[in-house]
Parts: sequence; C-alpha cells; structure tokens
Amino acid sequence: MTALHEVPAEGGGGDVKVPDADGRVPVVLLVNGAPHRVHVRTTEVLLDVLREDLKLVGARNGCGVGMCGACTILRDGRAVSSCLTLAVLCEGADLRTIEGLRGGGGEGGEGGEGGGLSRVQRAFLEHRAFQCSYCTSGFILALEALLAVDSHPTEAAVREAFSGHLCRCGSYSRIMAAARQAAGLPSRGGLARGAVTGGVTGCAPDEEPGR
Amino acid sequence: MEGRTEDVAHPPLLDAEDRVTGRTPFVVNEEVSGMLHGKLVRSSAAHAHLVGVDTGAALAHPGVRAVVTGALLVARGGMELEFGPVVRDQPVLAYDAVRYIGEPIALVVASDPFVAEEAASLVEVTYDHLPAVFDVDEATAPGAPVLFRAEPERDPAFVDVTLRADYERNVCNVFSVVRGDASAAISSADHVFEHVFESPAAGAAPLETHVVVADARGDRVTVWTSTQTPHIVRRQLALLFSLPLNRVRVVVSALGGGFGAKAYAAIEPVAAVASRLVGAPVRIHLARDEEFVTSTKHAMRVRLRTAVTNDGLIVARQALARYNAGAYAGISPRKVMFGAYGLNGPYHIANVDIHVEAVCTNTPPAGAYRGFAINQAAWAYEQQMDIIAEALGIDAAEMRRRNLLRDGDTFCTGETLEHLHFHELLDTVTERIGWDPDAKPERDGDLVRAKGISCVIEGTITPSTSTATVRLNGDGSVDVLTSSVEMGQGMRPALASLVARRLGIDPGLVGVSYVDTDLTPYDQQTTASRSMASMGRASELATDDMVEKVRQLAAELLEADPSDVAVVGGHAQVVGVPSRRLSLAEVVGRSRVGNLHGEGTFVTEGGLDPFSGQGVGSAHWHQSLGAAEIEVDIATGKVRILRYAGALFAGDVVDAVGADHQCEGCLVFGVGNALFEELVFDKGQLTNASLADYMVPSLDDMPDAYGFDLATDENRDVHGLGEPALPPVAPAVANALYRATGVRIHSLPISAERVLRGVQAERRSGGAGGGTGGGTGGGGTGSRA
Repeated sequence: MTALHEVPAEGGGGDVKVPDADGRVPVVLLVNGAPHRVHVRTTEVLLDVLREDLKLVGARNGCGVGMCGACTILRDGRAVSSCLTLAVLCEGADLRTIEGLRGGGGEGGEGGEGGGLSRVQRAFLEHRAFQCSYCTSGFILALEALLAVDSHPTEAAVREAFSGHLCRCGSYSRIMAAARQAAGLPSRGGLARGAVTGGVTGCAPDEEPGR
Repeated sequence: MEGRTEDVAHPPLLDAEDRVTGRTPFVVNEEVSGMLHGKLVRSSAAHAHLVGVDTGAALAHPGVRAVVTGALLVARGGMELEFGPVVRDQPVLAYDAVRYIGEPIALVVASDPFVAEEAASLVEVTYDHLPAVFDVDEATAPGAPVLFRAEPERDPAFVDVTLRADYERNVCNVFSVVRGDASAAISSADHVFEHVFESPAAGAAPLETHVVVADARGDRVTVWTSTQTPHIVRRQLALLFSLPLNRVRVVVSALGGGFGAKAYAAIEPVAAVASRLVGAPVRIHLARDEEFVTSTKHAMRVRLRTAVTNDGLIVARQALARYNAGAYAGISPRKVMFGAYGLNGPYHIANVDIHVEAVCTNTPPAGAYRGFAINQAAWAYEQQMDIIAEALGIDAAEMRRRNLLRDGDTFCTGETLEHLHFHELLDTVTERIGWDPDAKPERDGDLVRAKGISCVIEGTITPSTSTATVRLNGDGSVDVLTSSVEMGQGMRPALASLVARRLGIDPGLVGVSYVDTDLTPYDQQTTASRSMASMGRASELATDDMVEKVRQLAAELLEADPSDVAVVGGHAQVVGVPSRRLSLAEVVGRSRVGNLHGEGTFVTEGGLDPFSGQGVGSAHWHQSLGAAEIEVDIATGKVRILRYAGALFAGDVVDAVGADHQCEGCLVFGVGNALFEELVFDKGQLTNASLADYMVPSLDDMPDAYGFDLATDENRDVHGLGEPALPPVAPAVANALYRATGVRIHSLPISAERVLRGVQAERRSGGAGGGTGGGTGGGGTGSRA
C-alpha cells in the first residue's frame, strides 16, 4: 500500500509525502504533549513506533489484531488499538500513552500518596487490580477515555468500555472494583465467602480496599 | 463484605506502582546493544522429509544478515542438534524431517524485524510428504505412521522420570497405577459404568508471547528470556553448547503471564545458536499465531470404567488414557504420572488399574498447562460420578460424600493421606450454591437453570528442590535472592511478606530479586503451584540461617551468650532484658561485616514407581471443589455460568489478595476451557491461531457472582494456589448442564453447537433429563447391573 497520496493528510497542511529509498516517510507525532519526529514505514503501526522508536513500552503487543486491548492508547482522547493504527496517519493527533497520565490532569492533584497517579491509576493500585499487569495500561486508558466524556458512567458503560480488553490472568473482579471506585459507582458484593476451617482468607473482589 | 479478617497480613505491593504506570520490566522490553531480529520460517507440512531449503532470495533481500538452517547447523557441527527437557528429540531447526505444521525450519536474521519477516516469506522449502497422524488412538494402532525411527537420547540430568517408551507405537512414555485387583472387583461388582471422555488441545495464551534475546558471542551464552524454568533452560543450553553451567546465564525479569506454556526451553536454543553463528545478539519475539503452536494443553481421550456397590461405594476403577504429546515429547513423559494418579480422583478406591500413555502425533508440541494433566482427568471422572449417582438414584453430593477420601485413607499410590478436608469443602460449596438434592431445573421460556458440583485432587511436583539466599543490608533492609519467576502470580510480594513475617519487620523493607542465574541460587522451576510451598520454605530457612548469624554477632556486641540473644521485631535483644538490644542495621554496621547472608535449601523427597504407581506422589495434596449454577438457552445451546463457588484447602496463606487472584485466574481458565477454548486443527493445520478466532474469556463471560472459600491451617505448609481451583470448573458446568437439559457432553468444550445438537437429540428421543442422558460427542454410555 504505497498510494499514500490518496490518503487525506490530517492537519499536515496537505503535503504529499513520498517514501524514501527505505520506504519511510517523516512524521511528527505528538505524544504525551511532546512532538517527536520519526521516520516510519508507511505500513508501520503506531504500537511499534511507540515501543521501538520512542521507547514508550507501556502499550504492549498481545494479539496484533485489536482483540486483546493491551496496546490501547488515547488518540484525541479516544481509546484506540495502536496495533491497528498506522503511524503515518497520526500526524496532528493528540496521542497519549499510560506514561502520559498524571494525577494533576483533571481529577488528580489531591496530593498525598500516589499523587503522581491519575484517579484511575490510584484505584487500580489500591484494589490491586492486576496480576501480571500486561493488560493493565489498556484497561486504565479505556476507563480514562470513558470518564473523559462521561464523568458518571453506568456500570454497563464501564463494562462496555472494557469489552475489547482481555485479562488472561483473571483480575476482572478487582478491575471492576477499581473501576467502580474511579467512576463513583457503588461497590458490589461477590458471592459471599467465609471460613471453612482455620482462618478466613477470602477477600471479596468487590469490597472496598483498605488496611 | 463480611469474611475479611484483619489478622491476615497485607503484603507490600512490591512493584505495584510500576504495574499501573506501564513500567513493569517485561522480558519483551529487553534490548541489548547491537541486537538483530530473527523471524522463524515454519513448516507447512505436517510430516515430511526436508528435501531442500532455498535461502537464496531471502539472503539477497536488503537488510538480511543471515539465514540459519538446520543443514547449516549440521555442516557446522560442534553443537547438539536437538533439545528437550526429558528426551532430546526436538531439533533446534529441522534438518531431516518435519513433524508438525509450524515447526521451525530456518531463522532469518536482520537488523530490522520487519525485514526479517519479509525475507522469511522468501525462503522456499521443498518437502517429500509422509503419511501423518493426528489422533492418539490412530497413532498407537498397528500400521500408523511412525514419527521417530530411533529412540531419542535422554537429557542426562533429568533422572526422576523413568521412561517406558514404545516409539514403534509413537508412545514416548507410559505410567501405570496398579493397586488391589481391579479386574476381580469389577467382575463381582453390583454395577459397572464405562464411558469415554475427551478434551481438546487448548492454548495457554499468555498476553505476552514467548520472547528471547540471546547473546552467544565468545565463550559464554546469555539469554534474556520469558521462561518459567530458568535453571532448566540454563542446563539445556549448557548441554547444547557443551558448556559448564556457569558459562550460561539466564536472565528473567517479569513475565506477562505463563500458565505453563513458558516452561522448558522453546525458542532459546535457536536464538542462541543463531547468535553464535551470526556473532551478534539475536532477538526472537513470537507473533500470536506462532505462540499457539509453541506449547499447547494436551488433548486427551480416556476410557474410564468404574465399579460400584448398590450403595454407591466405588470398589474399582480401570482407565486407559492417552495424552496427545504432539510432535515432541517435551514434559509429556512426566505428565503421564500426574494423569495416572489424577484419574483416581479424590475418592477412596481399593482396586485401581490405570494406564496413561503420552503419544506423539503430527500436531504442535503439548507442554505444561495450568492444571497439569488434571483438567482432562477431572473432566472425565467427575461427569461419570454424576452419571453413576443418577443411575443408582443417589444425590450427586451424597454420592461424593460416601466416597471422598478421609484422613487415614490409603490413596492409589499407597500413601496414607492426612489433613484432608474434602467433606467440609463439599459442605461449603453445596451451601454456597444452594444445593438441593430434589431441585428440578428452573425454566423461564427457553432459559433453563440448574446446578452442578465437582471434586478434584491434585498433586504438586515431587521430588522438588528450591534454594534461596536472604541478605541483610547495612541499613536493615533485606533482599531475597531467588530464581523463582514472577509471572503475575504475585510470587515476589508474597515472598517479601513471608520473610518480613519471620523477621518481624515491615514488609516494605524486604525486596525480592528477579532471576539472573549468575547471581540467584538454584530453583527447580516455577510450575506446579510449587513456589510458595517450596521457595517460600527455602526463604524461611535462609532467613533462619541469617538470624543465626545475627545472633552470633549481636551476642559479641551485647556481651551476652548467643543462646541468650533472640531476634524479635527487627531487633536482636538479650532475652528478658529489652533494653539490651540492637537493630538489625546496628548489628551489621557495628560488626563491620558489610552484609549478612543466609542460605536455605528445601528439598522434598518422593516419587512413584512407573509400573505400579506406588510410592510418594506428592509432598502435599491439593483439595479443590467447585459448584456452578448455569443458565442454558435451549433454543440456541448457549450456556452462561450464573454463579460459581469454589472451595479449597490452602494450608497457610501468606497473601490473601494474591490467593484470591490465583483462584479467579483459575476460574478464567476454567470458564474458557468449559465453554469455548479449543485449538481446532484441520489435518494438522491450526485453523484458529488468532485471538480473533480463539476466544478467551472476557469480563462478560465471567459468572455474575463468584467466590472461593479457602480452608486454612497456619500450622500446615503453604499450598500453592496457582492451579487447584481450575480443574473442577468444566465438569461442574457439564454436570449442571445435564441437570438442566438431560444432555451429557463428553467432549470439551461445551459449545453451543454441541449443546443444541444434544437438546435436539434429547427431544427426538423424548428424554427429559432422566435415565439415559443424551450422549453427544463420542462418549459411549453403558451400565450393566
């Protein structure tokens, strides 16, 4: 697919870019508020540029076909699969990765512990809503994108936002508990649990975090 | 939420902030200066002689540095050509024959991964096709294609597996458990039930696929790799290159999941060999479709015959099971042992005759997988328990209650079992799910609801060895040096918590290493739910060793007898004189030792005779039960799990949140295995090697409500929880489905198509959930009185 001139330039002033001898074109990507000039193949996906060129490794390759959500980033505030996004088409877009989240942006700034984290990140931390955490950036950014357009989402909206995300380790109940906290939804009990013999270890997934 | 106790220590969230900020040091992030990228060329033939591998066009492709082929390795010499954890049967790169579609034939090496991928498609392979075999029963039948003409060499270090291979029948190992006289007991029994059950191959599908960077320049080999078995990979590479162990360095940071699939060498050998040939570090990162053919869950078929009295007491069990090892043995020679005692189930059976074969076929290699061999066994015996109970008119829970193992019972391995909690656990799950022996399915239009239960016993790898070093630094902080792998199971925070508890210090003062075999001491492997039991104990022993040194030094500083000095709450103090004490930091500082090391080694003994299955099967026994309430749409066949209650014996629990995570993780695998996960092959060609086609459970596939009760006993050892909650899930769902519809599914998964076919067959036969059951999917039901 070299017919790049057929693609309308987005905010790039309408320039037609001709690939160089290596099949690459120069692109300026605005990532986490800073411009980065990179030379990318016309077929190169944003995920690879972020990881290989910009060393932003919080977005991860899981499936390569937009099914697992591990590569999720924010493009102009919307959660997108960076494994399906051509880097050359991102010029002019406001790209944000997990590395670009900060507590000061909007909901944060409350200081104290985790002050450098966003409200969503803090909720994930407090609920320990991860195991290996390979998927965590994606879940967090999906929720950030939702909360940016709907500060009081329903639980159904949260689940919809997570529908393109897989956690193979199985942290779903704690992810939902963290999401409910971040979204201001009431916490919800799981199937009750208690002692059989000896001490209880059951820690219900949906209960409030605490010490 | 009730049920939370405050006395369970919350471990420090070691690395937790990294995990929510994208900074976790996954192996996939590893970069080595000057590294090149490799892309594997894979076989498109299921079974063939390699006639030629034409690398000309690939080599001419701009940016390609080398194309490594099996023929090149043969010509070069000086390195072993095959590897494998038990037998060395798997070529680093195929040079003579290929035995499955997807087998590595060549590695294209380039400075850019995209160039390597482009060039890989330019390698032309010519095959002389051979007859192929994919099914375990066909592979063991007379006249079947034979995969190996000669018996492969053993790995000399892997001595705890006795091989009873029969390569003329494609059998790479057999394991038998024989106790009592099953034939006699069956011939005189009141009732005998015989069924065939099947499980398909499945993918562990860790979100991070296999990845390795290898640097084999000079006289050393270093790999940064996503393995669960660093010390075994070290040994395998040492054997490959004829190097002493200390010239092979295996570095493992965080894994993005493992679930068994990352156990034992996989792509490390080819990366290391390519690095040696090319003279540069080489990285290989598998694409998702490659991951699916690198290590699978074993497909398995079992014929299970169980004899019972009129009262429902099991008097004998016979079984012949075949696990599909795929093209190369991998760890299958050990898996048959787990399958053999596993098929006994958690029941007291005096007469047992179980034979389990691992069979090589022209399918991708099967390997370790969460629930190691037990998922397939439980899928069979727990459904048969319900079939028997119904035939005898006994409630399914009561049937189990009459047969479940109790303290003092002899297991099929000859071991006398203690610390069993099956009956309490059964009471727990039946109470949680609201089990009613007389309950009829609830109908609401096409939606039918019902409940099912299942019970499982599972061992851990025995014998087993873990060693740990604990280091006290000058400021009183402590490092645990371990070769156990953090793959998301929370091993690092749990070990930190354990050591802190022993020293009486803040868990935040304890750090845990990642793995670097140059620095971290031996651990057998991070599998089999063994790390907290084995490495946890080694870390405690190392802590005790260090404490002993602290006491000796503190005694000098405090001018006391060492026997009068105790380490309490992070201080060394003279017993009975609280004012005469020193902090751990002061002990290190004032004695000018720099730091203090403690060493701990934990070894379990045991093993079973492969002909009789008698001996010590497991250092402890995992006890796990599950109860499911499902809803099935009889118009579409779709099954939804509404509620799931699990109950397990956990021994001492170190990290309550981590324990909960592990159980939920097992449920995710259980739901996927039960309802939709299956690697679908067409004459050896995997047809769903993508997460778009191979479904793993998402949030919406999980039950509406679920939870796990852990029976604990702080005076018992830690029971790892990585796997035990998984095997009961699928049979509990299948048993619920039968109660709802009268449809008995013999072959996993419980897909909508199978259920719908069963419902339609049930309608035609006029059945209504009673008596015969609708046999679907290749299971024969039979009973004789």
